[in-house]
Amino acid sequence: MEDPSSRTAHDGPPGQVARGGSDSETDVTREIKTHFRVCRFIMESGVKLGMRSVPVATACELYHRFFECVSLRVYEPYLVAMSCVYLAGKVEEQHLRTRDIINVSHRYFHNASAPLECDREFWELRDSVVQCELLILRQLDFHVSFRHPHKYLLHYLMSVKALVNRHAWTRTPVAETAWALLRDCYHGVMCIHHAPQHIAIATLYLALNSYGVEMPVGEREWWQVLCEDVTKEDINAVISDLLQLYDMEAKCV
Amino acid sequence: MDRDLLRQCLTHHGESLFNTLQCEQTENPDFQAVASDLAKATYERRGAGEGCSLVEQFIARKADILFCPTWRTAVPREDELEDEEATEPYAIMPPAELFMEVPFEERRAMLYRDLERGDAVVGRINNIREYGFFLTLLCAAGGLRRDIEDLELSALCHIKEIPSTGSHDDPLSYYQIGDLIRGGVKDLDRYQEKITVSLLPASLCPRLAHIKLGVVAREELPKHYSRGLRVANDTRETYERILRGCHGYHNPSVVEYLLGRAGVSDDRPPSLMRGLQSKHFHEEDFATVIRKKQSASWALKCVRSGVDHFKHGRHVEAMNEYNKALEIDTNNVEALVARGALYANKGGMMKAISDFELGLETCPDHRNAKKYLCQTLVERGKQLQEQEKFVTAEGLYRRALSLDDSYPEAQAALRRITDTIQKSIRLREEATAKETEKAKSGKTSAQKLRKILKDEKRMKKKRKRSSSSSSSSSSSSERPSLSPTSTTSSRRRSKKRRRKRGGSERGSQRRRRRSSKRSEEEEEEEEYPAPPNTSASFLYRQGFLGSGAGRGEGGEEGGEEEEEVVVDDRRISQLYSLSAASEDEGSEPRGGDGEGRRGRSFSSHGKGGRRRSRRGSSSESSAAREQGKARRRSGEGRRRSRGRSREEGRSSEEGRGRSREEGRRRSRGRSSEEGRSRGRSREEGRRRSRGRSSEEGRSSEEGRSSEEGRGRSREEGRRRSRGRSREEGRSSEEGRGRSREEGRSRGRSREDGRRRSTDEGRRRRKASPSSVESQRSRKSTVAAERPPACRRSSSGSLGQPAPPLAPPRRTSLDGGRLGHSQGHIPYIP
Repeated sequence: MEDPSSRTAHDGPPGQVARGGSDSETDVTREIKTHFRVCRFIMESGVKLGMRSVPVATACELYHRFFECVSLRVYEPYLVAMSCVYLAGKVEEQHLRTRDIINVSHRYFHNASAPLECDREFWELRDSVVQCELLILRQLDFHVSFRHPHKYLLHYLMSVKALVNRHAWTRTPVAETAWALLRDCYHGVMCIHHAPQHIAIATLYLALNSYGVEMPVGEREWWQVLCEDVTKEDINAVISDLLQLYDMEAKCV
Repeated sequence: MDRDLLRQCLTHHGESLFNTLQCEQTENPDFQAVASDLAKATYERRGAGEGCSLVEQFIARKADILFCPTWRTAVPREDELEDEEATEPYAIMPPAELFMEVPFEERRAMLYRDLERGDAVVGRINNIREYGFFLTLLCAAGGLRRDIEDLELSALCHIKEIPSTGSHDDPLSYYQIGDLIRGGVKDLDRYQEKITVSLLPASLCPRLAHIKLGVVAREELPKHYSRGLRVANDTRETYERILRGCHGYHNPSVVEYLLGRAGVSDDRPPSLMRGLQSKHFHEEDFATVIRKKQSASWALKCVRSGVDHFKHGRHVEAMNEYNKALEIDTNNVEALVARGALYANKGGMMKAISDFELGLETCPDHRNAKKYLCQTLVERGKQLQEQEKFVTAEGLYRRALSLDDSYPEAQAALRRITDTIQKSIRLREEATAKETEKAKSGKTSAQKLRKILKDEKRMKKKRKRSSSSSSSSSSSSERPSLSPTSTTSSRRRSKKRRRKRGGSERGSQRRRRRSSKRSEEEEEEEEYPAPPNTSASFLYRQGFLGSGAGRGEGGEEGGEEEEEVVVDDRRISQLYSLSAASEDEGSEPRGGDGEGRRGRSFSSHGKGGRRRSRRGSSSESSAAREQGKARRRSGEGRRRSRGRSREEGRSSEEGRGRSREEGRRRSRGRSSEEGRSRGRSREEGRRRSRGRSSEEGRSSEEGRSSEEGRGRSREEGRRRSRGRSREEGRSSEEGRGRSREEGRSRGRSREDGRRRSTDEGRRRRKASPSSVESQRSRKSTVAAERPPACRRSSSGSLGQPAPPLAPPRRTSLDGGRLGHSQGHIPYIP
């Protein structure tokens, strides 16, 4: 099932090769780091391609789910990432052109290089992206649409906003922070391991907490209301996962 | 760093966060600036605290982002849209405190804290007094979404705040206990906990202004309230269940919508990751930019291979490559210039010009584009001149000079054409003088006109003395132009003519050499200084007079030229390429006389092609005479339409050169499109056949008219135009007398006047007996036919601020297109 062109077409991402020198690093952490970098690549490409947040999230989730099933050694992660971006564009109905994806990726790998010529290399790259897309589809059994926390988060934001004094709310950038946290959490596999509602609540919780926004307290907490089955432990678990990702950034990049 | 925000955060998290902050942000000068300030206060932890150290560490580390003033990018869209309730683009949820079961006192305090003047509330009337009524508030209807039904809030609506519907009644009589009322919060006493509402629309804040106040039905109550009722009645309802049940939750674009409402940008998404800060994204890394670059380089590749094809004479392949390049990258300068060059080689002057212009638009400093455009413009101008479209030709020369003011060929051509124009102005002026004398009787404005004409003459003499050089630049913005006809009539007429035109120009081509020769002779004979502004659309009338003598020669010349052209073709295709090789050849000054020389310039190829194609249809020299005559008529029609288009063009522009260029550019798209879309060969065939048939028709017609003498047909035309132009004369005079103001308004007013007078003229034309008419008209031929343009031009020289000249935009278009379809029957080697 391996895509023959996946290895040949790719030309070594910048960070990937250098790492892994120290013996103390286990395979697992190395893999996590690789995934972090590849997801960073997806997100950067997403911005450069003008992708919205949800397609980017889908791309990351596709990527993570793909590598849940297969080993990192078998498939070239960056090629998979490119195909994930392409596929996510289709899934979320923000169609992206392979040419743009290849261009952006090429420039990502070869910093400040001239755009590709319209020659064999380009067409080979394109072929491998398309092939790899089919591979991902088969690997995931065509389950490619996911429920994302984005929709929940935005509705929660509206509800929480109504609880807070409007001037206090406009003064405090909770929406931006929560949105940023939500986007950032796709660097890791949390999106698979946590329920979307929990992620949404956790990011909102952390955002509110970061600015010390006081919420009214009743019989139940606001987050208990928004999602029935969420517990404080769930929130803390998500938050600690999320905070680890921020620590990871320093180690990976 | 936002100090207030930081303080708020510290208040929440306590001292430990402050210490962590000081550790983490030691190197941040922003934090140091506020640190001392913050250190003064003591913080005690209020938030519950297990596992908080990690969060605190996170806050401390990201404090520079979190508390940066630029982090708060969101400008929340506060305005509640009118149809939001109805269409529900997102799930409108009942207030969360309903689920949270916040204690009564706290909710009441929150409401008094957060309710504001200008909010909308809904309440039920519980008591009516003579000074107003009291409401028990049910819910907030705008600005705030709170659960307030059980808060026992009472609000007073004073009688003064109720809009009276009629003078006869007590406004309160409309309201009953139990009515649901929507009102705006007029005043709020937070200490006494008193709320007053108003039913006057002014009480609402502007963003809620669309809300209607007064009695509302139960169904009109806000959604969040009705959903809240459902929750209150059914304890099994949860937030999530309601959320999923909402129509708006399933809106596929709910994320975009709510992001917009929250004001968060998804194009430059926020991130707390250091590497994803938007400052790290460079514009040139974005997909659109790379794509553009790539397209340009791919297109260039195509152009290169196209040029290669071109050099080897494979013109079709070259054209294909150029078109491919332009498909990949529209507005690729190189491709446009190359294709323009190819067009020019093939005789498609207008297409070539349009390509060059487009190229220059995107890259104003492109050397080759400029150079080729100059050459093509001059070449096209010569063609037009030969067709006696002097104004258009002059415009082209000026345009060429505006690109390259040292281009000798354009200078020479312009000088020549100005002289020609100048000369005929003089002729016309004399004639007009006679005409005015005639017209003087009975007309009040005639005296004025005469006076002005005298002035003009005087000025002219002065000018003659003072300056002999006509500066082309000064004229550009000051030339008024009038259309010699009203739009409606000319349209009709020009339509008729259009059919004839096809063949008639062919005749003129034969004569054109002769006529240009003649104009040169005149140039030598008379040393009149050219007026700075010589927009003389009428001038080919003069031209055809001159051309009459040389008519016979036309046929023979045509034969000679053909041979030449074949030779030229070969040479030119070598010379004119993208390489700079053609530079010297092209810029070589070429006199209008030398045929061999003319052949040298790159675009004479096109002319040659045209001539050659003519070969099939007309070779008998006898036909030339008739054509010449018919041409005159059609020329008239053309002039009329040109005048009209000029009038159109004038209205908006100041700089003549610029606007003309614009006009051309605008029109270019149309014409080139047409040309491309139609099958080329088919078009050609049609054109040829059309030309031939109309030629025949005309010659028979002319046979008749020639019995009566040439003068008659001219007279006919004269009769048609005379009334009009005389009226114009008056109206222009009117305009002149009236206005010393700036050009635009003046032009407009004159135009109005003209329109009025044209109608008048038409009427009179109908009424007057033809015998008188013809007699009169014979004398005033020249004068009458002289379009107001020349008069105006001389008036411009009086030092009046003339209205900005309407660059003959359409003119160039019309002329160009016609000329093109006529002259440039695609040359097939």
